[in-house]
Amino acid sequence: MTEDLLRPLIAWPMMMLAAWLAGEWSHRRWQLPRVCAYGAVGLLFGGIGLSQGVASRETQGFMANVALALTLFELGYRVNPRWFRHNPWVLAAGIAQALLTFGTVFWVAGLFGVAIDHRLVLAALCVATSPAAVMRVTHELRSAGQVTERLLHLCALNCLLAVLLLKMVVGYWHLETSGDLGKAAFNSIYVIALSLVAGAVFGVVAPLLNRLVTSSQATTVTFAIAVLLLSGVAQSLHLSPLLAALAFGAVARERRIMLSHAQRNFGALGDVLVVFLFVFVGSLLSWTGLLTSLLLGMSVLIARSASHTAVNLAIARVSGTTFRKGALTGLALMPMSAFALLLLEESRAYGFDLARDSLPVIVGLLMLLEVLGPLATQRALLLARETHPEEN
Amino acid sequence: MPLQAFGKSSALSLGVELELQLVNTVDYDLTSASNDLLELLSRKPFPGTVTPEMTQSMIEIATGIQTEHAPLLAELRGMRDTLTAACDRLNIGIAGGGTHPFQRWSEQRVFDKPRYQEISQLYGYLAKQFTVFGQHVHVGCASGDDALFLLHSLSRYVPHFIALSASSPFFQGVDTMFDSARLNSVFAFPLSGRAPFTLSWDDFANSYFTKMEATGVVKSMKDFYWDIRPKPEYGTIELRVCDTPLTVERAAALACYLQAICRRLLERAEPLPTEDDYLVYTFNRFQACRFGLDGTMVDPRTRESLTIREDILATLRHVEPHGVALKSLSALAEIERCAARDGNHATHLRRVFDETHNAQSMVQESTRALRSGPGA
Repeated sequence: MTEDLLRPLIAWPMMMLAAWLAGEWSHRRWQLPRVCAYGAVGLLFGGIGLSQGVASRETQGFMANVALALTLFELGYRVNPRWFRHNPWVLAAGIAQALLTFGTVFWVAGLFGVAIDHRLVLAALCVATSPAAVMRVTHELRSAGQVTERLLHLCALNCLLAVLLLKMVVGYWHLETSGDLGKAAFNSIYVIALSLVAGAVFGVVAPLLNRLVTSSQATTVTFAIAVLLLSGVAQSLHLSPLLAALAFGAVARERRIMLSHAQRNFGALGDVLVVFLFVFVGSLLSWTGLLTSLLLGMSVLIARSASHTAVNLAIARVSGTTFRKGALTGLALMPMSAFALLLLEESRAYGFDLARDSLPVIVGLLMLLEVLGPLATQRALLLARETHPEEN
Repeated sequence: MPLQAFGKSSALSLGVELELQLVNTVDYDLTSASNDLLELLSRKPFPGTVTPEMTQSMIEIATGIQTEHAPLLAELRGMRDTLTAACDRLNIGIAGGGTHPFQRWSEQRVFDKPRYQEISQLYGYLAKQFTVFGQHVHVGCASGDDALFLLHSLSRYVPHFIALSASSPFFQGVDTMFDSARLNSVFAFPLSGRAPFTLSWDDFANSYFTKMEATGVVKSMKDFYWDIRPKPEYGTIELRVCDTPLTVERAAALACYLQAICRRLLERAEPLPTEDDYLVYTFNRFQACRFGLDGTMVDPRTRESLTIREDILATLRHVEPHGVALKSLSALAEIERCAARDGNHATHLRRVFDETHNAQSMVQESTRALRSGPGA
């Protein structure tokens, strides 16, 4: 075995072990969300160059996609589309917040002299809220209540809208650079529609396969393998594995497959993959030129959270909750790193060159949010008193 | 503090309290949502009253004072509709049923109110295991003596109400084989069971209660978890053995069946109750919890044994004229359908489980049944 192959085989598990232990330790010591520590350790290894040398984007990128797809499947399953009908204000908040975030981030980045193309990419990505961090933190705190409900539903909407907006930006970019309307349309409409269809097909077929299984434990395995396969299929067809997984979860819910209580977050498999995901995300973020992009990152972070908070505060009363819970929902929506980065990677892999050039612009923001985002979510849920007392 | 005087209420007036479950809409587990729900409900006048309960996954609704079936049912339906609309806005599911079939008691968050925190401290896991859901029916009594007369005369009918209302076949994820597993949780409390035998309010208040209070074991009537207890501040007796049924229609029918029996008893149609009536009490009660309508009950007077179903159908014939007088024939018809044809809601839930082999689908069915009324 060559040294090149051997090094990642040892380096990755070691990094994951370090991240995992740091997560447990900081959670016990300071009650910090575990994912904060995973992200911090990932960033650290990335910073000292340990993980960059051993990162193979193809295989590890796929694994990271699977990790996030599992979370998205679960989020899709968790979201109740009927709620949007019973309480259209929540849906309205989701759309308003996406548009406002897009607008303010585009404007703020303009103040820093960022090129228009990059501003569009940045603004589209900022619409996303990272389901990995949100699902982990709500699960860790065993939280329940209006902030939790809104957080999860708006997170799903934000992911969906971020993909839509980014595909529109990509379409626009193809049109600008090649003038090829066909390619532009292909990249937006075709990818989105087909990803949703692929997810929906899995949502119908997987429950049928699951009829063979005998225990609730086995149900988890069926769906984990299905998500793995779906991610593979989506990636080979140049579709969006993330969008497909979200659709898979939503359709599986409509088909009423009951996943039992014990299997939230896909159990131990989910735990291992989420450690990997956060370490991987950290390793992708380069520290060069960080200082300049940190200032931009900080400003965008504030603009983005202000948009979230403003919209949720505005609809709080009419949508049936208190101003306080509305504001806390806005705060809780802060995490975005994993989803935004993988979305960017996905676009890059499918030939959207702008994605590669945009990374340095957004790196400061992603670094900040990798650690701050989950912490904000945790604090918001604690302040809302929606956590289980034993987890306080 | 001595027990207060027995309050004034008009005889045979009714009040119904229902404890309801709040569940999430994903896997139908109990969810701590009462804070959010009560906040939203507080913005508009509520038809009746709604209050928090022991844990945050539970709320209690209570009707005003009613005398007839139709307005009672209308009020219950009004409360139900207000609640389901509010729950829809907050993405919460709401359901009847005496137990949640698979919740784990250790997951429950205790409502932030001194009395509940105290109870939780005192009883430890019993308090959380007490996450069970009952229907309480108040019947107005003209005097304290009437109250005790009714309380003890009704002991013979307690199995009817357990069997008719039973809707808690599953508990902590397993089929308990009981129709009402909920009552087993209630029996664990030290002051559960039945009231001491006396037909004189004076004797009850000044002898029994005073002595109990002096022991320091109780401070108020609230500390007794009896199957039927007097409620002097309202001037009522309160029947507490019923599981919350899956529908408000069944809840109203149970209240009116009780009202009709009380009316017959007040005509002194039966011999006076005696201490010996209680010889068979716990046996009959167990039969009702375990086997529901198919349970056997022994008549304490005739010592005949017959099924609870037969005894209910016989009682329905006796109280029919009272149903006419109280305008509650449609309620008695619902009781007859339940006893003779459809079975109780525990049977219904087991049927759902047999079809789906899934505990979550029972809760899903319970949320549907509460909304759409009978048919369950």
